[in-house]
Amino acid sequence: MNARIRPRLAFVAGCTLIAAVRAALGSGAPAANSDAATPPCEACHGAHGEGMAAAHVPRIAGQSADYLKKQLDDYAQGSRDNPIMANFAKALTEPQRSALAARFAAMSAPFIAQSAPPGAAQLARGHQLAFQGDEEERVQACNNCHGPDGVGLVHSAPYLAGQSAEYLASAIKAFQQGTRKNDAGQLMRSVVEHLNESDVEAVAGYYGNLGSAMH
Amino acid sequence: MVQRLKEVDVVVIGVGMVGSIVAKELAAAGYKVVGLERGEPRFTVPEFQSPAIHDELRFDVRKALMQDNTREPVTFRNQGSQLALPVRRWESFLPGTGLGGSMVHWNGQTYRFQATDFQLATRTRERYGKTFLGPDVTIQDWGVTYDDLEPHYDRFEYLLGTSGKAGNIKGKIQPGGDPHESPRSREYPTPPMKEHFSGAMFRKAASSLGYHPFPQPSSNLSQPYTNPEGVKLNACVFCGFCERYACEHYAKSVPQTVILPVLLANPNFELRTGCQVQRINLDSTKKQATGVTYIDAVGREFMQPASLVITSMFAINNIRMLLLSGIGAPYDPAKGQGVVGRNYAYQTMSTVASFFDEGIIVNPFMASGASGTLINDFAGDNFDHSGLGFIGGAFIGAVNTNGRPIQYHPVPPGTPAWGKGWKQAVVKHYNHTVMFSLHGSSVAQRQNYCDLDPTYRDAWGQPVLRITFDFPPNDLKMAAHVTAKAVDIGKAMGAKQVVGSPRTGPYTVTQYQTTHNTGGTVMGENPKTSVVNRYLQSWDVPNVFVIGASNYPQNASWNPTGTLGALTYWAIDALKTKYLKHPGRLVSA
Repeated sequence: MNARIRPRLAFVAGCTLIAAVRAALGSGAPAANSDAATPPCEACHGAHGEGMAAAHVPRIAGQSADYLKKQLDDYAQGSRDNPIMANFAKALTEPQRSALAARFAAMSAPFIAQSAPPGAAQLARGHQLAFQGDEEERVQACNNCHGPDGVGLVHSAPYLAGQSAEYLASAIKAFQQGTRKNDAGQLMRSVVEHLNESDVEAVAGYYGNLGSAMH
Repeated sequence: MVQRLKEVDVVVIGVGMVGSIVAKELAAAGYKVVGLERGEPRFTVPEFQSPAIHDELRFDVRKALMQDNTREPVTFRNQGSQLALPVRRWESFLPGTGLGGSMVHWNGQTYRFQATDFQLATRTRERYGKTFLGPDVTIQDWGVTYDDLEPHYDRFEYLLGTSGKAGNIKGKIQPGGDPHESPRSREYPTPPMKEHFSGAMFRKAASSLGYHPFPQPSSNLSQPYTNPEGVKLNACVFCGFCERYACEHYAKSVPQTVILPVLLANPNFELRTGCQVQRINLDSTKKQATGVTYIDAVGREFMQPASLVITSMFAINNIRMLLLSGIGAPYDPAKGQGVVGRNYAYQTMSTVASFFDEGIIVNPFMASGASGTLINDFAGDNFDHSGLGFIGGAFIGAVNTNGRPIQYHPVPPGTPAWGKGWKQAVVKHYNHTVMFSLHGSSVAQRQNYCDLDPTYRDAWGQPVLRITFDFPPNDLKMAAHVTAKAVDIGKAMGAKQVVGSPRTGPYTVTQYQTTHNTGGTVMGENPKTSVVNRYLQSWDVPNVFVIGASNYPQNASWNPTGTLGALTYWAIDALKTKYLKHPGRLVSA
């Protein structure tokens, strides 16, 4: 399913949305406290920044502005690889990237429950990795950096709680495969490289299921 | 009733850094090794995980990772004429307990001593004359040279993955490194840590004064690293919780992250935790150890026979184990005779605080235990001491290890000690102050020593260790001299106010300084002035090896861990290539 959605998004992005971003942002910075998404972002990230789980598009509402700004910068500079986002980010000026990051950071969006919630065993394994890690695999707890219950740490690490499980799994795989390498000191890669596929699904499903309390 | 266990080849007392490395090497060589650890087993997961591990009250103030001094205290006094009292709260120094030992809560600062340090007595006589120091200073040569230890320093640094910049590779000075260091055979295993803003300011100011700044060697790693044992470490995240804490990120080089996975997988090794060793047992001649006696966590007493006993405890506990076992003559300061407990030394720490206005933002909370910028221009014998009346020195560095809320609040002199005025000053200065650490050497002195306390006993009924120590006049002169130089660097940085705090006497055991206790079982070439020979083998009982910072005849200007790692591999080399092939004395007395 994902493979079918992605080319379409890429096509739309390439043809029309860059122009739309430019038009919407104009030359001045948008107001940071607006609750409406900028139209071209909205097409994928949703009207309130809630994301599009099925297409592995992350929820960005309420995400740390520092984190969002870094991702836009990294897309623009190439250390995070995604053709759709790279096209957008490169078209934006540095102040425009800051302003967009601030705008989404200020938004809130309702939690969207997973279409297929994880089972008890998967949740238990996800909880273990999130809170405690696994000495056998030499994996530390995700919450060490991503904050208590994965709510994020404002200047350094994005929230995971309530993020879509599909996006989380694809982000972890991107770090594992080296297609995403914008983590200073390989902090993400050196942790997730120890996770096997079922651990990836477990931890992604666990955080994806956590959102109702967090958002 | 004492239960006698099956004999093994080797017993290792204390499974910290030294014990883990020795046990790993000997188990890999085919020997049956038992490791006796008094504390608990603990690992990065689950014991070191956040947020619990960042509990400043528990770990920093209440010292949760340290030796339990309700059961096993030490007593302390400044002078032999005083009554020593038990240290009920660790403050001045912090000996750890549990699997991985004190290294679990270290800062990762990983230095080599310089060639001159190992021949300090000879060097001092030759350069400054026989009468330069008074008769009370009992410094002596180590019995090993820097060249002996260089391959072992190298091996230890590559085990840890230490991040740094070489200053001297095989005699060739390297730009960006420390030009004063003795030659190393190759570059550090990983590149240096990122430099703090305070380090960058220090670098600029020190360079302008003609000094030679370099990045602090760090065993909190700058990048992921797989060591020669095949164990992988992660990069440091600069969380600011190194010393007094354990690292949750697999980023600090400690036994759990560099060698225990290999050791614990070897069926030749058996780890027993919760085991309090009471003594090393000797045969009727008192010249041969037969094993050890220990009490387990539920109070059962065991005798573990062994062909070889290695004491690898924290320095002061190595001293005590020999005294409790009757190995070596206890030191008597009145007569200046005996060796066990002699030449106890420490470290002479001073500080300089440079206060800036709000325009300079240093973010002290973004820190690792060893990402400072330093100079060695006033360390060791790197400057001419003629006419100064002291030997030794200190490294000077902007070493910002943390900005933790309970313990870190730099304020200028004259600030109220509590209340509104204090709070306002903390807010004003927290993010705009650069602290220098001046890490000073410590000479051995006749009156400073350790022995068994005549009054106080531990929870198992054994006499506790008594420490008698005050700062030698030599070291206080050194502290004053180097602090003045450091104040000049603070001024060159453009600080509004620079406050130098040279270490002054008397030594107090109730104020944190550093956990670098050295000496007491010193190594050397003469059995009248040393406890172990140059291979760290007991002169008196050849099947006992003592390995620890307790081997240092005096302490140098740097943190002792790197040198202890080198000595550990040096002793292992002697064990494997000499002793175990032909057990007996490696050096004739």
